[in-house]
Amino acid sequence: MTEAAAKSRVSGGRLWPLRASLLVQYFLLQALIAVICVVVLREPPPEPSSRFLVTEFTLKENGAERSVTLPHFTASRFAMNDPPLYTGRFNWPGDEAQGAWSVLLPRFTNGVEVTVNGVVILDSRRDPAANRPDRNTPEIAVIPASLLRDGPNDVAIRLFVWGPITGFLDRLYVGPDEMLRPSYDARTLLFVTLPVVISAWQAILAVILAIMWVMRRHEPAYGILAAAMAIGVAQAFLQTPLAQSPTSRLNAALIASAPIESGFVLTFALLFFGWKWPRYGWLIFAPGALVAAAGLFGDAVLTREAFLFVGAPTVGLYLVALALIIAHAVWTRQDAVSFMFGCAITIVLTCWALDLASVLQFMPNRRIFLARLSYSAMLVAIGAALTWRFARALNQVDSFASSMVTLVREAEDKLKASFVREEERARAAALALERTRLMRDLHDGLGGQLVSIVALSERGNASAGIGEAARAALKDLRLVIDSMDDIGGDLMLALGSWRERAMAQLRPHDIALDWRVVTPRGMPVHPELRPWHVIQIVRLLDEAVTDAAKHAEARRIAVSIETLTDAAGVARGCITVEDDGKGFGLAPNGEAAAGQTAARGLRNMRSRAARCGAELELISGAGGTRVRLTLPRRFPDRDAAAG
Amino acid sequence: MTSGSDQRPSPAITILLVEDDAPTSWRLQDALATAGFQVTSAATLAEARACLAQSAPQVLLTDLQLPDGHGVDLIRETRQRLPDTEIMVISILGDEESVISAITVGATGYLLKDAFPTDIAATVHELVAGHSPISASIARFIVRRTQSQPEPPPGPPLNTAKLTPREIDILWGIAKGFSYAEIAGHLGLSRQTVPGHIKNIYRKLEVHTRGEAVFEALQQGLIRL
Repeated sequence: MTEAAAKSRVSGGRLWPLRASLLVQYFLLQALIAVICVVVLREPPPEPSSRFLVTEFTLKENGAERSVTLPHFTASRFAMNDPPLYTGRFNWPGDEAQGAWSVLLPRFTNGVEVTVNGVVILDSRRDPAANRPDRNTPEIAVIPASLLRDGPNDVAIRLFVWGPITGFLDRLYVGPDEMLRPSYDARTLLFVTLPVVISAWQAILAVILAIMWVMRRHEPAYGILAAAMAIGVAQAFLQTPLAQSPTSRLNAALIASAPIESGFVLTFALLFFGWKWPRYGWLIFAPGALVAAAGLFGDAVLTREAFLFVGAPTVGLYLVALALIIAHAVWTRQDAVSFMFGCAITIVLTCWALDLASVLQFMPNRRIFLARLSYSAMLVAIGAALTWRFARALNQVDSFASSMVTLVREAEDKLKASFVREEERARAAALALERTRLMRDLHDGLGGQLVSIVALSERGNASAGIGEAARAALKDLRLVIDSMDDIGGDLMLALGSWRERAMAQLRPHDIALDWRVVTPRGMPVHPELRPWHVIQIVRLLDEAVTDAAKHAEARRIAVSIETLTDAAGVARGCITVEDDGKGFGLAPNGEAAAGQTAARGLRNMRSRAARCGAELELISGAGGTRVRLTLPRRFPDRDAAAG
Repeated sequence: MTSGSDQRPSPAITILLVEDDAPTSWRLQDALATAGFQVTSAATLAEARACLAQSAPQVLLTDLQLPDGHGVDLIRETRQRLPDTEIMVISILGDEESVISAITVGATGYLLKDAFPTDIAATVHELVAGHSPISASIARFIVRRTQSQPEPPPGPPLNTAKLTPREIDILWGIAKGFSYAEIAGHLGLSRQTVPGHIKNIYRKLEVHTRGEAVFEALQQGLIRL
């Protein structure tokens, strides 16, 4: 829709002559359609053989008597109390073998009462479908055999007329029922059954379009068309009132359905083809309202006059307006939908013109009204076309959705690939960081020990020292490897390995290691615990044990592990290493008075505790040394000392 | 090939020592011979196979990295051919990579290369008596494998499905540094039964056949068919 509009805007100037010729072609085509319609509709509907025609009648109307030939139009628009009486004759051969005879009335307005030999055999007013002047309902009645006489028989028809148009009686057929009935059936199918079928279809489309409008409020065109269809359906099942009843006034108001319905269709066309809603747009419904008001409040005559002089011309006017709007749409949009609408409206307009000509007796046809039928068919076609278009739009949405799925999948794949790359980069970065840490840890421990092994081996006379240094180096290597393992923040798991190593180290020195876990559950778990924290803590404990073994000449070392609750009520792990050695005197500044090595060891322990955020407490006396390490509430993320 | 012998009256325990590094080999031989074991040593896989073909030792001590092959193959062969021979792996670090891979093919203990001579002899004696050594880090590795995780942690494949909750409790105790006596106290066992449990655990971790290995790898999602 918008595509076509854009196209016309861009290349409008250049395509003008082409467009003009297109419009001319369009109008020529519409003219052709109109001519074809006229020609086709001039053909009379199915009729029996003319052998059974009865055309010569004597008409008694308003007291005057004259002979007439059917078909005949009455002069009056209303004749209920003293209806025109047509009397004629037909011959019955008296041959029983021919079977039953019938009277066939192919077309009449508005009602007939058929009498044969003075006995009423048919009153069409009892048939609601036959009471509608806009339906071309035929009637057939079987003449009871007992009524028939050999030779001439009398047939009389009383024609009831109640408007809004003049009375009409088409040619009459009297003959064997089996000869007349096929054409009766064909006419019933065309003029009674088909409108019902179309109305049913229209009702379904009204529901579909109403649902569509409810779901898509921004497209009122659907709602308008649904309303038009609903009115069309109501009109189709409307009964023409003959007697006064509680609902007769309402029924009379419903006579306004045609102008109202055409108003709705005009509104739909305006909205659908993207016209700006005119300021006095509601005036479209004014004629319909007028007719409805006349039906509601006026008498029968006023109602008929209103319909005839307001309703019917309104319908014609709106049809012409519709044709013009659609022609404009064909001009600007040049699409299949407007073209199709155009052809449909031409057909309806032609039928309406023919009907009008028939009502006004300009054309000697048999007063077969087709505008209503063609209009219903057109509405159904429009509804079907819109539904089809909607389904196609849904398909487009589906294909859009599937292409979106493909796009999303592609984007997802790309994202996944970049995520994998990112992950690899992160892994590489983590690996590099880990390598740096490993290098530093190995340098701190293993490197120093290996250097001392080299130094000792160069001296050549201290084999015992070499062994000790190498063993320390291996011990440290195991510590480093051990610390790389994920212990899930449970320092107890690291201490378990340390205990083994410490016991192996102390066994040759004949020093006992007492291991006591005071709190059964050990120490709090620290999810933020990292390998470098573990290494610092284990090295600190190593220093404490080594000091006790080497310098303090202890015989027994006790390690106790417990969980303490600090002033703030937070559980904190606490590791205590106690020995029964001779201790080392601490200078007031905290420096050990003992040898250089012990002093360095103490400094190291303080620095390691500080790096982990742990508190170190050292008490040394003649009775031994006690190192108490209180773990932090939370281990620091960064190694403050080493950067 | 060197052979150490001693003249102790009691029937000496025979050991085949497979170690390619000569000084290490000497050191271990000295430690074992001093303790009264009868040690035969081999430096390569081929030598070791030749020795095993001649006589079945009571204990096989083997390094993993050998000049002409991998100690794991030797352990597997020995375990199949000589089921009565106790097998120990000699490890530099006692890390789970080497120890666990040796256990899954049939070893029931490990020995650190730098252990003190008395410890070396004691460990072999314990092993012969049915007590397998285990370190905290090995125990930790095994129990972490018993915890269901979407992805198995890195390291050699290990199927812990056969371990009983009690055995897992014992491993937890060892991993956290408790002594056998403490573990026995906590779990209501007698102290003497704990080392026997360790050997059972090792036996349960052993993968007996190639088919079983494939089955277990499938079970753990390590391979997909």
